[in-house]
Amino acid sequence: MSASAKQPQIIKSKRVLRRTPLVSLSTVIVSAFIVAAIGSLPYLLGSGSYVLLLTGKFLCFTIFALSIDLIWGFTGILSLGQAVYFGIGAYLVALSLKINYAMDHPTRYGHKFPDFMEWNGLTALPKFMEPLISTPFAVICALMIPALLAFIFGVITFKRHIYGVYCAVITLAESLILQEFIIEYQAYTGGFNGITDYSNYVGAPFLWFMLAVTVACFLLARALTHSRIGTVLKSIRDNDLRAEFMGYNVANYRIFVFCISALMSATAGAMYAAWVGIVSFLDAGPVFSVEGVIWTAVGGRATLVGAFVGAFLIKGLEFLLSGLLADVWQLFMGALFIIVVLWMPDGIVGTIADWVRAWRRRTIKQIREDEDRRAFDQQHDWAPAGAAKTGEEAP
Amino acid sequence: MALLDVKGLTARVSGYTILNNLDFSVDENELRVLLGPNGAGKTTLIAMISGQFKPTDGVINFDGQDITGWAPYDIVRAGIGRKFQVPNMYETLSVYDNVMVSLKGDRKVFNYMLKRISPQDSDRVWEILEFIELAEKANEPADTLSHGERQWLELGMLIAANPKLLLLDEPTTGMTQEGKMRTAELIAKIAKNHTVLLVEHDMQIVRQIGKKVTVLHQGQLLVEGPLSDVVADERVRKVYLGKGKLQ
Repeated sequence: MSASAKQPQIIKSKRVLRRTPLVSLSTVIVSAFIVAAIGSLPYLLGSGSYVLLLTGKFLCFTIFALSIDLIWGFTGILSLGQAVYFGIGAYLVALSLKINYAMDHPTRYGHKFPDFMEWNGLTALPKFMEPLISTPFAVICALMIPALLAFIFGVITFKRHIYGVYCAVITLAESLILQEFIIEYQAYTGGFNGITDYSNYVGAPFLWFMLAVTVACFLLARALTHSRIGTVLKSIRDNDLRAEFMGYNVANYRIFVFCISALMSATAGAMYAAWVGIVSFLDAGPVFSVEGVIWTAVGGRATLVGAFVGAFLIKGLEFLLSGLLADVWQLFMGALFIIVVLWMPDGIVGTIADWVRAWRRRTIKQIREDEDRRAFDQQHDWAPAGAAKTGEEAP
Repeated sequence: MALLDVKGLTARVSGYTILNNLDFSVDENELRVLLGPNGAGKTTLIAMISGQFKPTDGVINFDGQDITGWAPYDIVRAGIGRKFQVPNMYETLSVYDNVMVSLKGDRKVFNYMLKRISPQDSDRVWEILEFIELAEKANEPADTLSHGERQWLELGMLIAANPKLLLLDEPTTGMTQEGKMRTAELIAKIAKNHTVLLVEHDMQIVRQIGKKVTVLHQGQLLVEGPLSDVVADERVRKVYLGKGKLQ
């Protein structure tokens, strides 16, 4: 403070700061329409509809992409293993639901534990899985275990200054390891077949619940990225060395946002398992992780809304095109990626935001120029084509 | 009592001795200029003080604390700010945010969560922006600034962090002569309230603002003293011979 007190020669300038509100009115209106549209689907289509099932899935994918946007778009950590947290969340909830289902629906040999365990030679529910009988406990585990794992991962990597490509490769390996683990220990995880045949929650109430959670996740992400910590995260993304030499413990910030992101992924996974009623090793694998990264990139990094746009657009197109053009739809998807990468490096939302910004800037410039001209005209009492002067000089 | 006290500092990297048993100290509220031909170890010295590299041997004392081997962010929190040779800022952030994120604060994750900037802090940012004459561009992203403006912005970020000691590594690199002069004025202003350690090649600027000068050569302290004495020194002339910088 003392530095400023001794500087008398400061000229007061116009202190105009362009700041966006936490949630703008237009965002509220548009998202209210979207929420209403999705929320009314069960009534429009009936609760057995495939489109309804897909929409619920897409909501989970949206949260998943949002979690990637937080770490990649805002903090610059490219994780190719975000599906690990999604997968763990999904498997824990699916296991719990499956165990509960098996109690009411005995297997062929009359056992009251999941059928895939029976096929693999188990004679009773393993002791360590017994706590999962309580679904609320399973849900808590499904959220907390991924967050804890993310914390441990963060401490191991970020504290040792491992990031960038190395971090991406490690997370990719993480994802592969989990996938192999699931396939290998099929007595406990269902292996290749995944976990199926349990009572899922598809229907209006759970859809609304998922909508509420999605909105909450968006609000949390917006609040985070909009507060001071958001500015710090972006500064770390832009130049971590400078941030470190500005006194920020960069590793702690990275760990923090990585945990939040893992928690979001796990939330998405847990809801996914409860909604869809089938979980497979693919949901924890590297392919799904990379898919999430692609949704984020196509939608627009560091835009938040891009996660929603990317997930719905790509998965929606996938659904439409695979129905219409069973053989060549993947070509179209490939073309879309190429177009976005080449001509819209900021993603769809990012590019549109750029246009809007450019248009606004031009408008503001125009207004300023008009004002300047008017002020100039008033000062100089601008007469048309030198009329006054000739008038004076006239005899 | 010296603010910064370096004792027996040695830096050896893969067989090369960059700094050799260097003793060096800076007093409080001093503007010290660090001179020396290329490879003299100026930037290495700065990097060691700021914690980027760990010294092979020697002790760095700052403000009564032994900071040898501390993490960079801890050294910054102790009160040392560093300006890099190449302008180094957050490219996509606005000019305002660049300064805002550098403001002195506790830097703890949970204290910055879900919090927006207070009016007092905002005023402080504006004061700094006016000080570095970038208030007009507060909303522009930093990567739209010119090279000179970037250097100024980074100086502004350092002022915002309000360190006890500023390490400025060639802040006028790549500027026009006019820009250099304006930067020199800015540094002179900063030096009224801060201790500054300045690495500078341009003798015109050194003449304008420098009082006490330290000349490094091959990792060792060659001469230290008032500018006029140093310029007259025979050894300094020898080191710089043919470079024409001191004439």
